[in-house]
Amino acid sequence: MTILSLDFSLSYQAFNFKINQTLNLTGITGVFGHSGSGKSTLLRAIAGLEKNITGAIIFNDKTLTDTTKNLCQKPEQRNISLVFQDSRLFTHLTVRDNLKYAAKRCTNSQLNIADILKLTELEALADANVVELSSGQKQRVALARALLTEPKLLLLDEPLSALDQASKTKLLSLIVKVQQQLSLPILYVSHSLDELQQVCDNLLILSQGKAINYGNIHYTIHQLNFMSAHLPSERLIHQQTSLSLPIASTDNGQGLMVLTLAEQKILLPSLPGTFIKNQHLRCFILASDISICLSEPQNSTIVNHLSGNINAIESSTTDKATHSVLITVICSGQEFFVHISTFSQQKLALCINQQVYLQFKAGAVRTYLY
Amino acid sequence: MPSPDLLALAVTLKMAALTTVILLLIGTPLAWFLAKMTSRFKVIIEAIVALPLVLPPTVLGFYLLIAFSPQHLPGQIWQQATGQQLAFSFSAIVIGSVLYSLPFVVQPLQKAFEQLGDSVLEAGAMLGAGPIDRFFTIVLPLTKASFITAASLGFAHTVGEFGVILMIGGNIPGETRVLSIALFDHVEAFDYAKAHVLAISLLIGSMILLAGVYLLNLPHRKTRK
Repeated sequence: MTILSLDFSLSYQAFNFKINQTLNLTGITGVFGHSGSGKSTLLRAIAGLEKNITGAIIFNDKTLTDTTKNLCQKPEQRNISLVFQDSRLFTHLTVRDNLKYAAKRCTNSQLNIADILKLTELEALADANVVELSSGQKQRVALARALLTEPKLLLLDEPLSALDQASKTKLLSLIVKVQQQLSLPILYVSHSLDELQQVCDNLLILSQGKAINYGNIHYTIHQLNFMSAHLPSERLIHQQTSLSLPIASTDNGQGLMVLTLAEQKILLPSLPGTFIKNQHLRCFILASDISICLSEPQNSTIVNHLSGNINAIESSTTDKATHSVLITVICSGQEFFVHISTFSQQKLALCINQQVYLQFKAGAVRTYLY
Repeated sequence: MPSPDLLALAVTLKMAALTTVILLLIGTPLAWFLAKMTSRFKVIIEAIVALPLVLPPTVLGFYLLIAFSPQHLPGQIWQQATGQQLAFSFSAIVIGSVLYSLPFVVQPLQKAFEQLGDSVLEAGAMLGAGPIDRFFTIVLPLTKASFITAASLGFAHTVGEFGVILMIGGNIPGETRVLSIALFDHVEAFDYAKAHVLAISLLIGSMILLAGVYLLNLPHRKTRK
């Protein structure tokens, strides 16, 4: 288990950042927040690039920073690597020489350049000039270069933000593959919850320079639904149900994939990737894409209908004029979030513990990676 | 015995080469310090560095002459350390040239370091490179053109200096008599033929050097194999 303990603060003129949180870094840990929430500041502080912090950062019993002891390890000695949003490749070197730069300074040398070129699918570009690469290729080189330092912790600062959709999914799959093959703990910063929902095991939420939530990815996203319901003005995320469900069938013969939810099924359009049976698929359904019926729908084109019981009805505590409610429905033990108007809620006289049917189209079950 | 003008050429080249080397050694850390400095004292240091650009060379030469004389502390220290008088020596004109050409080396380097910024240096640190390593493997290759520009301008400006050398160097053949002073002597002696040779040589030499600098700083065209 890799443990990163953060307890520090940092101030600029108009920005204050303060965190006291211990992270268990298994797999990929996501850091989510809007612009100005302090995501990049957090990564830079861990990497040692922020000079003016007060407090302590401890990584696996190794103190990286402790200002009470006047201790601050230099960034180049931390054995932590950071992949920047803007690649920051050395333009005077070729792809291979950029990788050699990292490998030459790595004291461990378990990985070799050829293997990493293969893993990141850069073999054909090894002798290319880095200025001629596309943004997606540049980010793959930056990732490969960071891996060759053989870090104990890899920090990714919005690595997909400059890429087009096709390059985004490609690099995201690559990040998952790298994480699994090298079993390297990764801290992944993004303002896109869709990206994080696909790949992260745990999620840390930052807002206005503070950590406001941390935990299992699905649990944390569901917590954010409530926060968004209570404070619609801050609208942290699109309220959604975050799922990870086993695949029963990749194609039911009619172009639909089937997921198992205990004794119930969820259908979604078949995905292009290759899957094995019972592999868990990460997907999400926006709360605005689900509707509620009192009886099981029989004559509808909508393919998914799940039976469940209402568990909670939340309306905004601060803004009575929103005219909408967030309803939590438990279907086969799984929470689902439904966003409907107060008008509809009153028309159907929905109340807690009532049995209802959820319905949503196959296309409303979304994934980001495939 | 070589001709006096060839001797002057040799002194000039020796002075300019030595000055350029010293300027790169002093100017690089100074330019780096100025590029990274955020304090308000930065403008004062920048103004001092830029002073030789606007000051009449004779002003600088006058103060250096006084400082280098055995009656004053810098001159005394030098004399005790080396046993030689500093004023009217080759060492004096090299020190004068270093001060006089300082902005021509510091300014292009400072601008290059500022443009380079911290981002690639942070990337270097993330790959395990320490500050000295980063300077030689990232900064130097990426600002190579500015170093060549700085060295060329420093060299050319030193070859072309006259006022400071006249004040602190005098006119000692083989020691402080440089081309620009030799030219002045020929003109004073009405030897226009010799003056023409020196003048046109300095003109063409400087022209070639500057053209080289501007060629180097042309916007890069992509070269493909």
